[in-house]
Amino acid sequence: MSILPQALFSRRDLLKKSAVGFGNLALLSMLNDETRAASAKDPLSPREPHFEPRAKRVIFLFMKGGPSHMDTFDYKPQLQKYDGKPLPFDKPRVQFAPTGNLLKSPWKFKQYGESGIHVSELFPNVAECVDDLCIINSLYGTNAAHGGALLKLHTGSDAFVRPSLGSWVTYGLGTENQNLPGFITICPTLAHGGVKNWSSAFLPAPYQGTPLGNAAIAAENAQIEFIKNGFLSRGVQRKQIDFMNDLNRMHQQQTGPNQILEDRIGSFELAFRMQEEVPQIQDISGETEATRKMYGLDEAETADFGRQCLMARRFAERGVRFIQVSHSDQKVQWDQHSNLLEGHGKNAKEVDKPIAALLKDLKQRGLLKDTLVVWGGEFGRTPTAQGKNGRDHNPEGFTMWLAGGGVKGGIKYGATDEFGYYAAKDKMHIHDFHATLLHLLGMNHEKLTYRYAGRDFRLTDVAGHVAHGVLA
Amino acid sequence: MTMHVRFREHSLSFVKPIFSGLLVAFIVLSASCLPAAEPQPDQKQIDFFESKIRPLLIKHCYDCHGPDEQESDLRVDTFKGIVQGGKAGSLVVPGKPEQSLLITAVLYQTPDLQMPPDEKLSKQEIEDLTNWVKMGAPYPNADLSLLRAANEKGKIDLKKEREFWSFQPVKKPALPEVKQTEWVKNPIDQFILHKLEETGLTPAKPTDRRTLIRRTTFDLTGLPPTPQEIDDFLNDSSPQAFEKVVDRLLASPHYGEHWARHWLDIARYADSNGLDENVAMGNAWKYRDYVVNALNKDKPYDLFLKEQLAGDLLEPAKDVAERNERLIATGFLLLGPKVLAEVDKTKMEMDIIDEQINTIGISLMGLTLGCARCHDHKFDPILADDYYGLAGILKSTKTMESYKTVARWNENSLATAEDLKVQADWDQKIKVEEDQISALVKSENERLQKEGGAEFKLPAKPEPTYSKEAQAQLKTLRDQVAALKKERPEVPTAMGAAEREIIDVPLHIRGSHLTLGETVPRHVPVVLSQQPQPPFSSEQSGRLKLAEWLVNPDHPLTSRVIANRIWRWHFGKGIVSTPDNFGKLGAKPSNQPLLDWMAASLMEQGWSLKKLHRTILLSNTWQMSSEWNEKAATVDPENRLMWRADVRRLDAESIRDSILAVSDGLDPKLGGSLLTVNNREFVFNHESKDGVTYDFNRRSIYLPVIRNHLFGMFMLFDYADASVLNGDRASTTVAPQALFLLNSHLVEDASQRMADAILNQTALTPEQKIEQLVLKAYGRAPSKMEINRSLQFLDEIERDLQNEEPDSVKRINRAWQVFCQSVFASSEFIYLR
Repeated sequence: MSILPQALFSRRDLLKKSAVGFGNLALLSMLNDETRAASAKDPLSPREPHFEPRAKRVIFLFMKGGPSHMDTFDYKPQLQKYDGKPLPFDKPRVQFAPTGNLLKSPWKFKQYGESGIHVSELFPNVAECVDDLCIINSLYGTNAAHGGALLKLHTGSDAFVRPSLGSWVTYGLGTENQNLPGFITICPTLAHGGVKNWSSAFLPAPYQGTPLGNAAIAAENAQIEFIKNGFLSRGVQRKQIDFMNDLNRMHQQQTGPNQILEDRIGSFELAFRMQEEVPQIQDISGETEATRKMYGLDEAETADFGRQCLMARRFAERGVRFIQVSHSDQKVQWDQHSNLLEGHGKNAKEVDKPIAALLKDLKQRGLLKDTLVVWGGEFGRTPTAQGKNGRDHNPEGFTMWLAGGGVKGGIKYGATDEFGYYAAKDKMHIHDFHATLLHLLGMNHEKLTYRYAGRDFRLTDVAGHVAHGVLA
Repeated sequence: MTMHVRFREHSLSFVKPIFSGLLVAFIVLSASCLPAAEPQPDQKQIDFFESKIRPLLIKHCYDCHGPDEQESDLRVDTFKGIVQGGKAGSLVVPGKPEQSLLITAVLYQTPDLQMPPDEKLSKQEIEDLTNWVKMGAPYPNADLSLLRAANEKGKIDLKKEREFWSFQPVKKPALPEVKQTEWVKNPIDQFILHKLEETGLTPAKPTDRRTLIRRTTFDLTGLPPTPQEIDDFLNDSSPQAFEKVVDRLLASPHYGEHWARHWLDIARYADSNGLDENVAMGNAWKYRDYVVNALNKDKPYDLFLKEQLAGDLLEPAKDVAERNERLIATGFLLLGPKVLAEVDKTKMEMDIIDEQINTIGISLMGLTLGCARCHDHKFDPILADDYYGLAGILKSTKTMESYKTVARWNENSLATAEDLKVQADWDQKIKVEEDQISALVKSENERLQKEGGAEFKLPAKPEPTYSKEAQAQLKTLRDQVAALKKERPEVPTAMGAAEREIIDVPLHIRGSHLTLGETVPRHVPVVLSQQPQPPFSSEQSGRLKLAEWLVNPDHPLTSRVIANRIWRWHFGKGIVSTPDNFGKLGAKPSNQPLLDWMAASLMEQGWSLKKLHRTILLSNTWQMSSEWNEKAATVDPENRLMWRADVRRLDAESIRDSILAVSDGLDPKLGGSLLTVNNREFVFNHESKDGVTYDFNRRSIYLPVIRNHLFGMFMLFDYADASVLNGDRASTTVAPQALFLLNSHLVEDASQRMADAILNQTALTPEQKIEQLVLKAYGRAPSKMEINRSLQFLDEIERDLQNEEPDSVKRINRAWQVFCQSVFASSEFIYLR
């Protein structure tokens, strides 16, 4: 029972009001009706893309460290043949470390699916889905160091602080579930750019990625910061919010109409709902035994990454726009300067089964057709050997693959030279890659702009071409 | 063309200055009016085009840049298309292949622009294209002068550009006429009132004293007033009561702490590098403390800037303390994020310089100079040439010790004579021990030699054959030396700049160090210099000159930009609403006479920031209430004209500090470092393990600022990013902020502390307890309605907890804790009226 005049705080009004959502920018020009209507619009409410989208959401499976393309999805018979021979052409002007002669892949390749695409024995499960994959063999970047390459891949710039891919996507499209952030990154690495890789930089704060734990935390324990109240029951907290709403309404009587203070009341209601919804999504106890097995939750090697992939599916189902999953923990995962056999073997084992499960699961739920799954690292590796049995960083040519959301399945797009050093055919720069992703989501990368410090910025800076060859 | 103009301007400085302006105008005029006589191509050249160039263009370029497709808005199948160029800029500079985009693209010189994309042209084809450009790009039936004209287009007319409002010198404007003269307390009011009256608006009535002291105390110190301070003000009936409050707050060391944080936002201050290799900048805090002290001492702003840009080059310091202060100040240039593992060292150096130019431009001048790295600025009259003129100054400045991965920034020694003596004494101690070792070794060797006779050859490692005692003694001595070396006192250092080899930098075409143009002498942007500037000396980098030029009263931007920033930090919005951009794309001032008056007064008053604060705070404009006015809200919804005080959210630091202060948990100690990671160590590298803790009760300004991983609470409340400078922080309202206030330990602990304290006052009734808490938190007494609602709430919670907590004392304590937390989380605690 409230002892205040009812008109001051009708809870139904309040709940309606709180649909304004997860984040409201403190726009100051809200006091005349027109601007008020405009600013009351949630920055995260769904927005129309520029044209009919092929995909509605993205799941980015990021393999930190730089997986070797020649040992996974870019089959190079010539490399096997010329093992131990010198590279017959020039190496790049700048390299990370000196490398020696050509080093053959220690893994066998086999043809899979109707497409007959070669995949190495590192990925036997993903290979089963090869007819859904659009394998881009011709990516290239410029930065040979992890930090720069991660930033380039995630933000389009390795020299300046720019909004991340996920932030641009959320800025362009808003999100479908107003009880959740629009951009979630699960167990991201805090090294090599860290938060910059999911930051909104100069875009408004609601477009920032919301991290769920970080790479040092097991997926099982990953949390959104402050999501849990350790000392109050939900019932008591409900009463507390009601009390605060009353205090805030009384305060508002002194300030006159004030949209920000209204929105603030809404933000507490939303926080209260998020507290309930996020743990529900993270609680996978309702998943069937078959599903858990499929994602490898019952095996030590795959349990952690499997859980990340499963959560990605669950967030995708609930309408989160951009979900990133990172394979990265105590060491720089895919960074085999030495012991390629051992390192890549272990890494692939950890991710192969969960990724295949995610693809199959999305497909069987009818989600794959409008979910774009992206797989890749910040660069590839050299076909030449570093030391006895390692490979160095190679941004000159590497592989990523796409699946679902309007891409041609069962194809290879572009190619590296016969050994896999340089991207050679249908070259795709990181900017082109970004342009293509945005295109798949229904956005023209040249039109998705934000004015900051006196000019319009784009994810693709002044570059980028859509690779029409990958579109279904 | 413009480049020539600049050189003329330099040389003209030796002529009578009065003519130079005219001459410049004439030269610019003549450049734009008189068409250059263009040699027409001969038939041989046309044949060359038809036989070599056109087929090449058809074969390699038409697909994407021809009749059907015009990627990047470029087509090369018509002369018009070639003249127009594409998005990346003009295609051909006739006669200058090295400056022509066409040639750099086919040469694959930069990674970003390589044409044709699939395969590089043959050597012969590239040579043909190069020759064609050298000939002036002959094309049949075409007016080749158009090509030259297209390249001239966009060059700037300095005289005209200087007419832009912010590029004109600051003149103190006359005070405008107003009707409601009794409202005017000082000129600020007169300028504000004039605009309001023009629009038919009236200023809000003065605010009440409680609101005023709360607003002003937060504004100057970032902390709430104590109940005692409020009482003192309420009980002071003298006309100077508020003046006394302002002077007390300006004299408080907390003033410097709060206002330094504003400056640190535009100095992109951090305690770690961020970007790729996140190593600790373990001495950055010295710069932070320098800023706090400078503001507390009211160091004149012109000196403040000179110290930060060129503290190492100022006239000899009066003592070591002053020398160190100046050396620390130059840390300003080094604080930016840097890609420390960049493989291409030349690129790394130019990127670091770029970050410095960008910072100087935006923070001190409100200009996005960085835009001119790749091309002349698209909107402001800043040429690439101006950019590289500044780049030369910074390239002649040592801010990096080494570019080798992981690269190291420069640190200067701050050693006092005493530090050096302590170190020398220590080294002497080491030497004494080492001498003993040598002596012992020598005597043992001689002994062995003597005992072994003439035939004896001393083994390579003779020590195992020494006597037992000698061996033991050696070990002791060596252990002592090792221990001494380990403990050797380090002399203190600070991040800072120094001079290095003086060098001019060539123009980087499209910003790339792989395509260099003509060398650009070091200089300051031409459009901003009312007087032609003499050439830079070859003896100094030019940083001091740059600083002196910036703080010269003729500089149109420096005083305006800082006056606007001060206004912005007081009122939450600038007179120019884009405080970091005073260029063409920035906002126009809402009240230029007011801004110019403040800028001129600031200079007149010896660049004293405290005097400017005082003028602003003692105006009636500052002291208005935030009362709502329907009519004014319709005319001016954003309150640009200042018809009332805005309701504003506290910044992240003030929220944290006041939660701590109100709960009696704030440690007011000044200065020093709370960073738990050593200088240059990784805060976390591959392991994502965080070596930093924020678990301190010190003021927020002292908490470590870790790029890529800012303190979570700060991020939520729109703290500056610390990588990009920001003079206009956002103020968002998002649900994660609510999560923090509801669920974090920081708020839980503070409210627990507050509840414990109030419950200890057993003599108080519940009503009195509520009164005290509200007074402490909001600076006012609660209303009857609030007291009743609070009592009802306490009762509800206490009852609800009966299921889970059998102990009634604990239940009551918990209820009060939840109550205190609600007070912290409420709007009134976080928003100022």
